[in-house]
Amino acid sequence: MDCFYAAIEIRERPELRGKPVAVGGGHRGVLTTCSYEARKYGCRSAMPTFQALRLCPDLILVPVRFDLYRTESQRIREIFGEFTELVEPLSLDEAYLDVSHLASEGASIAGEIRARIREVTGLTASAGIAANKFLAKVASDWNKPDGQYEVNESGVAAFMRDLPIEKIWGVGKRTAARLHALGARTCGELQRFTRFELDRAFGRFGAELHDLCRGIDRREVQPDRERKSVSNERTYSEDLATVAEGLEKLPELLTELHDDVTRKHADRRLRESVVKLKFADFSTTTAQRASGVIDPALFEDLLREAWPRGGGQPVRLIGTGVRFVSQEESAGVPDQLEMF
Amino acid sequence: MKFLIDRDAFLEALQQVQHVVSSRTTLPILSNVLIEADGDTLKLTTTDLDVGISGQVKAQIERGGATTLPARKLVMIIRELNSGEVSVDVDSDNVASVRNGPSFFKIIGLDQEEFPPLASFDEAREFVIEQAKLKDALRKTAYAISTDETRYVLNGIYWSFKDNVLTLVATDGRRLAMVEQDVEFPKSNEINVIIPTKAINELQRLLGDEGEVRVRISDSQVSFELNDSILVSKLIEGNYPNFRQVIPGEAKQRITLEREVLFNAVKRVAILTSDKSNSIKLSFKPDMLQISANSPEIGEAHESLHINYKGPVLSIAFNPEFLMAPLRNLAQDEVFLDLIDEMSPGVLKIDEPFIYVLMPMRVTN
Repeated sequence: MDCFYAAIEIRERPELRGKPVAVGGGHRGVLTTCSYEARKYGCRSAMPTFQALRLCPDLILVPVRFDLYRTESQRIREIFGEFTELVEPLSLDEAYLDVSHLASEGASIAGEIRARIREVTGLTASAGIAANKFLAKVASDWNKPDGQYEVNESGVAAFMRDLPIEKIWGVGKRTAARLHALGARTCGELQRFTRFELDRAFGRFGAELHDLCRGIDRREVQPDRERKSVSNERTYSEDLATVAEGLEKLPELLTELHDDVTRKHADRRLRESVVKLKFADFSTTTAQRASGVIDPALFEDLLREAWPRGGGQPVRLIGTGVRFVSQEESAGVPDQLEMF
Repeated sequence: MKFLIDRDAFLEALQQVQHVVSSRTTLPILSNVLIEADGDTLKLTTTDLDVGISGQVKAQIERGGATTLPARKLVMIIRELNSGEVSVDVDSDNVASVRNGPSFFKIIGLDQEEFPPLASFDEAREFVIEQAKLKDALRKTAYAISTDETRYVLNGIYWSFKDNVLTLVATDGRRLAMVEQDVEFPKSNEINVIIPTKAINELQRLLGDEGEVRVRISDSQVSFELNDSILVSKLIEGNYPNFRQVIPGEAKQRITLEREVLFNAVKRVAILTSDKSNSIKLSFKPDMLQISANSPEIGEAHESLHINYKGPVLSIAFNPEFLMAPLRNLAQDEVFLDLIDEMSPGVLKIDEPFIYVLMPMRVTN
């Protein structure tokens, strides 16, 4: 997305359009994002507010509203979902999409997605289209804002030749300085070094540099990370005053939880059981303990453990849940049994 | 404040208190050691607000007073000095001049007024325990403490004073070590508390083989007084799990094993375990124990021990480190391993009130 937070604020307050706007700030804070108008003055993200105001005295500062940005982000992810399930979000306003299994060309899909985003949210987005994540990410900056750029297979060599080494992910100031000292300012220049030479100079990252400077990146788009937990919760129409009332509510929640786990996640091993409470003042607390099974007695213990943390307040919501052992961790690994 | 002190004595006293020094940088005073000079004694105190420790050392005091100095730097300096006398002169701005032969250091301290006082124990239960007994009991249990911060009640040792017995328990949910010691105290003193790992570590450092330790327990704190030192710690709040219920009753098989022989064999075989297959298998056959490990990507190891075993063939897998930990920390020549079946906890015992419950590993193919 182009200047995501700032663009949302400008959409919400049209009078800001065309003016230098920054989100974040506060007297002693830093800018989170700023509009293109502000960038013309040299303002950028993470710049201290006082410095930005020195560069651009007319800069309009608006406070951060993460809830709003999250809602917008969700709407955008739903649009991605209309095209492909293989979506790997990087942040609220960036994601990798794998569309290689679709019939249409990448560039036309990108164009359609950008049009949909504009139609639904009124915001502009930019896209990079390429055979891998690294190239796509670099390319997405090429025609920003509100544009897209495609690096096709035959264009990779030319695209990489003049690309500054700073564009390679993982190359920060220090690595860049060392590469400059070796005489490599562009990826083309970096290509002159052998894998062995780079490995000797940079360790494991050296081998990666060897690939990346040629535009090679084998990382897959990883759609939603594996599910880490399952839970349910109920807000009660009347607050529950005593632990005894809370304990009465547990069986219903646990039956549901048990069904959910055994029907949809039967292949997963459980790591931990969790009870969540929300008190009358809306503060929440959780109590958890390692457990490989859904044990009602354990949930009762957890409820009793969490209840007094409200300092005698009634409880408005009870939640129960389990966390899973990650699939990677559980593959073929001997299972250490637990006592409690 | 000004004093002269022997370098070796000063270093030893500082080293006794330096481990508590906070690594939190938000409160700089907690990185400092409080030094109080009075009469012929220097009192050194450090705290991280959870645990505090205070020790004493003799010194020739020319001008009494108090200050705080950065503990780690001070220890580094004193450690590097030559043996002999060290002179420390602190001015009213808490700047210390440290001299030793040709060496001179100026260290900037902080006002002692800012140093948080250690908790007081006016209304507390009091217990007196022989240091050697407590040292032995902690050695037999402390290795089983959980390091998983999400299970904070297990990040310490559970102390139960009941019926003139002190029971110490440590567990991480996979193994559990328990020791009982006779200690005399009135019925009204009975109490259960959880003492955090950091305090246990410090206490183990302080405990010697002679003398007694005075333990005071208030609602939220515990203190240990021994050999001119005081250790104070917050207690862990929360309910310790019901550990009695995981200790198996009657065992089907009791196997007598030579501790050192078993330890060395497990240690050798465990070389062939890996992060992915971190288990060793104990296979019991008549008069024979075979210990084995295999990791698909590395290889395998076996070792056989002749033992006195008359029961049925039985195999059980354990995490080798969990099996070695008690063997490493016990002193007895013989240990007894009680087993029920391959899915039930194994229990390691000695001929003293000690019990170690170890959950097996389920090995799937």
